[in-house]
Amino acid sequence: MPEASALAAAAAPTPAPRIARLRAMQLLTWLFFAGALAFAAIAAALGDVFFFRLATEALIFGGLALAVDVLLGRTGLLPLGHALFFGLGAYVSGLVLKHWMPSLWLALAVVFVAALAAGVVAGIIAIRAKGVYFALISFGLAQVVSKIVFNTRELGASDGIIGIPVLQVGLGPLTLDMAHPPSMFLLTLAMIGVLYAVTAWLMDTPLGRLLSAVKANEHRVPFLGFDPWRVKLGGFTYSAIVAALSGALYPVLRGFVSPELLFFQVSVNAIINVIVGGTGTLIGPLYGSALLTGLKSVVGSFTAHHLIVIGLVFMASVVFFPRGLIGYAAPALQRWLDRRAAARIVSESAR
Amino acid sequence: MSDTILSVERLTVRFGALAAVNDVSFVAERGRITSVIGPNGAGKSSLFNLISGAIRPQAGRVTLDGRDVTGWRPDRLLAAGLSRSFQITNLFFELTVRENLRLAAQFVQPGPQLSNVLRPTGASRAALARVDELVERFDLHAKLDELAGYLSHGEQRRLEIAVSLAARPRLLLLDEPTQGMSHTDTQDTAALIRSLAGETSILLIEHDVDLVMDLSDQVVVMHQGQKLAEGRPQAVRANPAVQAAYFGEHADAEAH
Repeated sequence: MPEASALAAAAAPTPAPRIARLRAMQLLTWLFFAGALAFAAIAAALGDVFFFRLATEALIFGGLALAVDVLLGRTGLLPLGHALFFGLGAYVSGLVLKHWMPSLWLALAVVFVAALAAGVVAGIIAIRAKGVYFALISFGLAQVVSKIVFNTRELGASDGIIGIPVLQVGLGPLTLDMAHPPSMFLLTLAMIGVLYAVTAWLMDTPLGRLLSAVKANEHRVPFLGFDPWRVKLGGFTYSAIVAALSGALYPVLRGFVSPELLFFQVSVNAIINVIVGGTGTLIGPLYGSALLTGLKSVVGSFTAHHLIVIGLVFMASVVFFPRGLIGYAAPALQRWLDRRAAARIVSESAR
Repeated sequence: MSDTILSVERLTVRFGALAAVNDVSFVAERGRITSVIGPNGAGKSSLFNLISGAIRPQAGRVTLDGRDVTGWRPDRLLAAGLSRSFQITNLFFELTVRENLRLAAQFVQPGPQLSNVLRPTGASRAALARVDELVERFDLHAKLDELAGYLSHGEQRRLEIAVSLAARPRLLLLDEPTQGMSHTDTQDTAALIRSLAGETSILLIEHDVDLVMDLSDQVVVMHQGQKLAEGRPQAVRANPAVQAAYFGEHADAEAH
């Protein structure tokens, strides 16, 4: 390589930053899943049950946070009632498993169809409004549905659905026993991994990029030839499906579903996971969910007032780290990677 | 040449008691530069908003390339070949220059087929090739990976035109493209607009009267929501009514 261009490359403030930024994000993504596998190996070696179940729950709620990030981080919509779809997934899955057939794949298929329908209907109602009004309609829809479920005896009313059978999940030649914590964890990890991969891919298609365009400047989008309403409806429906498929795993883990899954608390927790992890980063919400679920459990073992601690962590995060964990970690890692790459170019050209 | 790209007939819109555009008719010829001038509040921007589908007319008709497009929404108009730029820069400020152009060029590889909408953006060759063309032409190479919000005013104005041109419109509406530009930038932009006339028809709103007279094939003068005059630049400049209503007032405004 000629020396002049090598020096120019080394001196340039951000050499090829777009491709490079993807690299840092990819590293952090692999790190998350590698970390989860390392955790599983250690926990399995120790014969642990408690942390396996906790980590599985963190992943399941991480899926909901991922769904929220598609709206909050990519489309610019704040869904205050996304527990609606998470709960829908949990209930539909629970009903299928208990009353129809104890098959995870069947439950997921039914949940997918139900979430698609519910997402389109709720989307048509909610995305007519913007900003605060969208948030309030989303909140209101979830409130209405949770009250209905809470008062419907056929759905177990305030008790929810209990006695959902323990599943044996067929995966090709393998059969995984969901009562076995490592199997449950790995299956959940695989499911959330697939949801993450599909979401990351979708966000890089023209359709996904249009979501970012709507977030950045909705008013210009029609003048580029696209109808922002359809773009938002597509994003909302997709997000509803991700939330519902995550929720579908809940009864598999816990053996029951309860109306609390539809409550405001669940929606807000998902938003906190997104913001603490890094809004719009997609992998950040998974980190956020792991972090806060862990924190809640640790703090919860010392005091019953763990919500106060979570609230303080959230406030500190918003005030001091508004871009969230990955929002800071990714650029920092990137700068380090770029410095290393630049140093290598210089040392090679000096040779 | 009698080949018409845009025909506006008796177009009217009222905001409350104010008739912002009142019974305005004119035509724009294919491959030419047609300009709309007039003092502030003459209704130029409202006329643009009507033609580009940003607002709906209460009366009248807009015909694009022989097709009645009155009241069509902007996304449908873009598919029919009409694009516009904005007087107040209207970009995706939190996205990079590259992404602004890519989004705008997305339409050159049309959206209806699922395979195009769902293929990763790196793979949509037609759109990326269009981005390269625009970068070359608008001299945005050095700024490709900057956020649009961090560009200088002149660069943003250039990007604004590039974005509106990306989908290869047959009629391009430029709303005060040189707004706030330095003298040199204005000259460059004028040359750019002239070079565009070969590939698309242009309808231009411009405050700089000298620039308009220099660039335009045809000029429409508006005053208080109505069309005051229409014709070749020299004929319009010589028109006594125009001089009284527009150039007189303009001179007054300059003096203040």
